Amino acid sequence: MNQSHIRNFCIIAHIDHGKSTLADRMMELTDTVAKRDMEAQLLDSMDIERERGITIKASAVRMFYTAADGEQYMFNLIDTPGHVDFTYEVSRALKACEGAVLVVDATQGIEAQTLANVYLAIDNDLEVLPVINKIDLPSAEPERVMHEIEDVIGLPAEDAPCVSAKTGLNVEEVLAKIVDQVPPPSGDPDGPTKALIFDCLYDNYKGALSYVRVFDGAIRPGMRIRSMATGHEFDVTEVGVFTPQWKTVEELTAGEVGYVAASIKSVEETKVGDTLTDVEHPAQEPLPGYKKVNPMVFCGIYPADGSHYGDLMEALEKLKLNDASLSFEKETSAALGYGFRCGFLGLLHMEIITERLEREFDLDLVTTSPSVVYRVKMMSGETVIIDNPASLPDPSEIDYMEEPMVKASIMTPPDYVGPIMELCQNNRGIFEHMDYIEKDRVKILYTLPLNEIIYDFFDSLKSRSKGYASFDYELKDYQKSDLVRLDFLLNGDMCDALSTIVHKDRAYPKGRAVCEKLKDVIPRQQFEIPVQAAIGGKIIARETVKAVRKDVLAKCYGGDISRKKKLLEKQKEGKKRMRQVGTVSVPSDAFMSVLRING
Amino acid sequence: MTGIYVHIPYCVRKCAYCDFCSVPRDETTEQYPDALCREIELSRDRLPYEGPVPSVFFGGGTPTALPAEALIRILETVRRTYEVRSDAEITVECNPGTATYADFVKLRAAGFNRLSLGLQSANDELLKAVGRIHTYDQFLTAFRAARDAGFQNINVDLMHGLPGQTQGDYLDTLQKVCDLGPEHISAYALILEEGTPLYTQVRAGEIALPDEDAVADMEDAGMAFLKQRGYERYEVSNFAKSGYECRHNLIYWDDAPYLGFGVAAHSSARGEGEWLRWSNTESIPEYLRKLRRGKLPTAETLQIDRKEELFEVIMLGLRKVKGIPRQAFLNRFGLTLEQAFPDAWLNVQANGWWADSPTHYALTKHGMDYLNTVLCYFR
Repeated sequence: MNQSHIRNFCIIAHIDHGKSTLADRMMELTDTVAKRDMEAQLLDSMDIERERGITIKASAVRMFYTAADGEQYMFNLIDTPGHVDFTYEVSRALKACEGAVLVVDATQGIEAQTLANVYLAIDNDLEVLPVINKIDLPSAEPERVMHEIEDVIGLPAEDAPCVSAKTGLNVEEVLAKIVDQVPPPSGDPDGPTKALIFDCLYDNYKGALSYVRVFDGAIRPGMRIRSMATGHEFDVTEVGVFTPQWKTVEELTAGEVGYVAASIKSVEETKVGDTLTDVEHPAQEPLPGYKKVNPMVFCGIYPADGSHYGDLMEALEKLKLNDASLSFEKETSAALGYGFRCGFLGLLHMEIITERLEREFDLDLVTTSPSVVYRVKMMSGETVIIDNPASLPDPSEIDYMEEPMVKASIMTPPDYVGPIMELCQNNRGIFEHMDYIEKDRVKILYTLPLNEIIYDFFDSLKSRSKGYASFDYELKDYQKSDLVRLDFLLNGDMCDALSTIVHKDRAYPKGRAVCEKLKDVIPRQQFEIPVQAAIGGKIIARETVKAVRKDVLAKCYGGDISRKKKLLEKQKEGKKRMRQVGTVSVPSDAFMSVLRING
Repeated sequence: MTGIYVHIPYCVRKCAYCDFCSVPRDETTEQYPDALCREIELSRDRLPYEGPVPSVFFGGGTPTALPAEALIRILETVRRTYEVRSDAEITVECNPGTATYADFVKLRAAGFNRLSLGLQSANDELLKAVGRIHTYDQFLTAFRAARDAGFQNINVDLMHGLPGQTQGDYLDTLQKVCDLGPEHISAYALILEEGTPLYTQVRAGEIALPDEDAVADMEDAGMAFLKQRGYERYEVSNFAKSGYECRHNLIYWDDAPYLGFGVAAHSSARGEGEWLRWSNTESIPEYLRKLRRGKLPTAETLQIDRKEELFEVIMLGLRKVKGIPRQAFLNRFGLTLEQAFPDAWLNVQANGWWADSPTHYALTKHGMDYLNTVLCYFR
């Protein structure tokens, strides 16, 4: 299609502000889907295409819109990952667009994460179209929200369409504005092919698919293409679009968006942000902005029942097919046996993955304390990178350690500023800046150690602000810090799965809190169990699990035998689910229950 | 030698903790003794049996919820049908308030020679709390009446871990009972059984039970007290003066054969080769109906294979302080316990729980406290 009739855009919105509903209405109005098929929110398709055990992401939907002038336009609506850990992925999806529809809830206003994404959009030179949603609600304050958009972001908003995505009110106006205001793509259709990969996914039939935005040239089946960053070469077998059904097309030309199927074995071989080019007429330079994403948070994931190790590996491999940012490698723990050290983009990413492993693959998991990546400067001058507390070198060989710091931005109504600052302060935060962006919205900037926010920071923030505060963070730098490894001993034996690296000042409260929790969750055994927290060889906290006194059935006569056997069976089953730490049996749940304790 | 158990499923009122098969007396109560006699007669030559019978036990429910005459008629039917040893132990369970001196005289004269009285506690408030129908005074009356009627072998059932019970309460009960001098005392820790009113009340937080450490303290203090008063522990919860161990219950713990008659009664015996355990229907109407039609009321028969039989012998035998005779074990299974369960043997040994006995496989006191843990090693 002629580039002048193409509009590539995304929707930026906070959770629940109506992104999916607005996308649905757009698809309806453009006759992309019939109204009766609209039961599910199509763009939010995590649950839709479940049939083959792998979720298919609707990364981009193509629609055709006939404008008031009678001309037909091709709309490519590009989805952006919705959460804080995927900033890089979001930036690549934005790069594929010329415009962004900013949806703001007329009853709520702008949230921290939305703001972060809007700034990303502006950085990528996108035309941002504000849209005020939910104006059908009695508590809607479109005027106030418009002012907020103008004050906070500096975008003119007086012409912003006021819509109700739910009822469809004024959504047509949004489509018209997209035609008018989002610039058409302006690549060179005859130049060497340059296509940006903004998402990758795996389909059981088609194999690894790359979602691309073609900037220059074209991609068609039969072409041999090269991934410019990884150097891998592939033969294109199919190109197509999602409408929202798979639909093959003859080619993807400059300005268009669609998927490329090639002889790609795994999503590893094509990375988000990379540029595809024609091997015969290669581009000189890749599109700018590619970077290798490194996991920020690590934890051990083990099957609760050791015999399910194989199932866990299979499940991780399947998830990895669709999620190149997930990394994992085999790991052994004295307490937990065989499992995996997994790397995530952030805490939410970690939660999503563990939840999917449990929900979609029906696995019972034990996860160990999350850890960030530390830089350990050795006396020898060498620098060691540590993502697992167990592999921390002997303290006597360590000169000093550095931990990752993040720039955190929190938006909240002014009432909660006090409690939130206290929370940041408690988590070793360094206050940077505070801004009354409006009379009832405050933006607070803090520098926080990443290792403090990977426990319960989110939950605490929500509870201290009655759910009103929103939060966004980005990695800032590494700073020298007084860190120690906190170990836990059960009946004198160290439990490697519980070890964690903490700031020295946090070690005592955390050690005490974890010991108290362990005392409650470790069942009483035939002997007394000292539960100790230790730094190096020094014990800093202790609790005792008292010995169980009797474990015997008071009565057993003729009629009881079968029933009493079943009771023993149950007890035996319970024991099977226990992990052995030296002499002590520890239920799998116990490891989980101390995860979120941050002293 | 096969023991015989007779189940009488009637009670004046069911206790709050009870999950045995028992119901209030109703219109079936009158037909029940006839049906029982019918079952006993029908069973002869149709069930595995090795005579003579060393023990007959009337349990419940409350057997004395039936008139003494009915119990006597049932016992006579047993005797007529099976060869009961002249020195057999013949026990009847009784709750205070359900039998008079005259009843005891009749029962004793008919050949019942052991009486098991349910007291549970000498504290009337505790008795009321768990729905017992009698007071301590009524128990005293019953005990003396039984002695006067000539019962020279009496058991008293006691419980600890009752709601609100203290160690003082429990020791007070033990003292009062020991002063009466029964030959046998059963002292059970309360088991909170699902489906009982007490379970519901505890779950709902209406009633609190003593915590497990307090119960363990009561149990240990009770055992020490009983020992001092000449009652030797011979099973997890059973104590007797020398020579008065309950022969009937030892049949269960020896995993020896027994026939059970009556609704919900269980039987266990070697069939043709395999060990069998079967149970009668738990429904009184069905029980009566089947016997009216001349059919045995068996509901379910389990075949216990060699492996399960081995386990059951251990599960039951290790309840006895004396343990399992090594020779009997070898004779029954053709191998030693060490050979049958080498790992479990070592695990128990590692804990130091095997008692030092050249003739028996037995646990120490400490080992018996953790009997479930021990048995899990064998599973």
